[in-house]
Amino acid sequence: MSCTVRIPSPLRSYTGGAVTVAGEGGTVAAVLDDLERRFGGIRFRVVDEQDRIRPHIRLYVNTSEVQALSQPVRSGDTVHVICALSGG
Amino acid sequence: MALSAAELSRYQRHLALPELGKTGQELLRAARVLVVGAGGLGSPAALYLAAAGVGRLGLADCDRVELSNLQRQVLFDSGDVGRPKTEAARERLLALNPEIAVHAHALTLRADNVLELFRDYDLVLDGTDRLGTRYVVNDACVLLGKPLVTAAIHRFEGHALTCLPGRGPCYRCLFPAAEAGVVASCAEAGVLGVLPGVLGAIQATEAIKIITGIGEPLVGRLLTYDALEMRFWELPVARRKDCAVCGEHPTITKPEDAEPPCEAATPSSVRRLSPTALRELLASARDRPVPLLIDVREPHEFRTRHLPGARNIPLRDLEPQLRVLAGQGMPVFLCRSGRRSLAACVLAVQAGVAEPAHLEGGLLAWAAEVDAAFEVAAG
Repeated sequence: MSCTVRIPSPLRSYTGGAVTVAGEGGTVAAVLDDLERRFGGIRFRVVDEQDRIRPHIRLYVNTSEVQALSQPVRSGDTVHVICALSGG
Repeated sequence: MALSAAELSRYQRHLALPELGKTGQELLRAARVLVVGAGGLGSPAALYLAAAGVGRLGLADCDRVELSNLQRQVLFDSGDVGRPKTEAARERLLALNPEIAVHAHALTLRADNVLELFRDYDLVLDGTDRLGTRYVVNDACVLLGKPLVTAAIHRFEGHALTCLPGRGPCYRCLFPAAEAGVVASCAEAGVLGVLPGVLGAIQATEAIKIITGIGEPLVGRLLTYDALEMRFWELPVARRKDCAVCGEHPTITKPEDAEPPCEAATPSSVRRLSPTALRELLASARDRPVPLLIDVREPHEFRTRHLPGARNIPLRDLEPQLRVLAGQGMPVFLCRSGRRSLAACVLAVQAGVAEPAHLEGGLLAWAAEVDAAFEVAAG
């Protein structure tokens, strides 16, 4: 299962500045694990120790908001990682 | 009161739009809009709202114009450097459109003044650069039932959302809370100067639509923009039943001040070193493990002058390297004023560094207390 993951600006330091990266996995959890293997530390910025999505982060699979990390991801999907921005 | 001859001429291109017409222009003239933050977002938003003929425009900002603002804050010019932003902005907006009234509020928005200020306005645009203030603004708008058009920027990315109390989600529905010190500011991370121009213009567009009742507002849809890709994305946002301010059982019934950024999220394991304490630590390092000096300023600041032995890892690049640093002794983070170094400590604790330290007051304090000859570059 190959999907596209959109990385928010504040987390692009993990991906070498890449705006989008390819992700592998059949669920959001699996995709996050895949990202963690390649971009160590990024997973913890998205979810906390209890695997809860952090309150300043939102995840979407295409346009469907992720409520649980078990949400399926299909080949060709886009996973959006949205992070609160503070700049004005 | 009917539009004057001068107004009919000034707003001719609006009047030519059947969707607006004279009625729409009169609604704009009767409108009272407050722009919170006269910065990158507030600048284009205020300019367009003034040009559009919003009858009463308020600007709330406590800062003075700095030279580094001019790369994006198009309300100001070089001669304004050092002046209070609201004063300089008022002059600029009245020069653009003397038919309107501009009110300058040179203040810091707080829980004890926000309701009084917002009561005099019909609609609020949030362009603040302080995360905590975003929640104060949102909560006040929900409590007063005022429409809010919020936007935020970071490097090449921007967000916008319109919040109509009772009709859609609020900012807390979008992000229930933010971890201060983790969400980097533009001062630290940088921002493409034209980026707030795009988002501020979207905010002004939304304000004009809401005032005149035309079109479909950006309610329940988060608009994200990436300048590098030149793409807009629209993602649905639903009201949260458990929202602390607009949910079914709100726990926020009056505005609350956010704790100072960074301080709120500072774990107790962070060590704060005064300049004198750092000097003593460095002097005694022969007998103990050498502290790892990490200067988290930008490279151009680092090049001007840095402490001997310090390694430069800008804050924006720090996170991926923290796990490596965790096994290399006690890191001491340094920056210009102590703000970025404190944020670095917060990140370090989250990455498993046992007891990160930072120079309280930054290298400015070092120059003031230890080494008067130490030149600290502007941020």
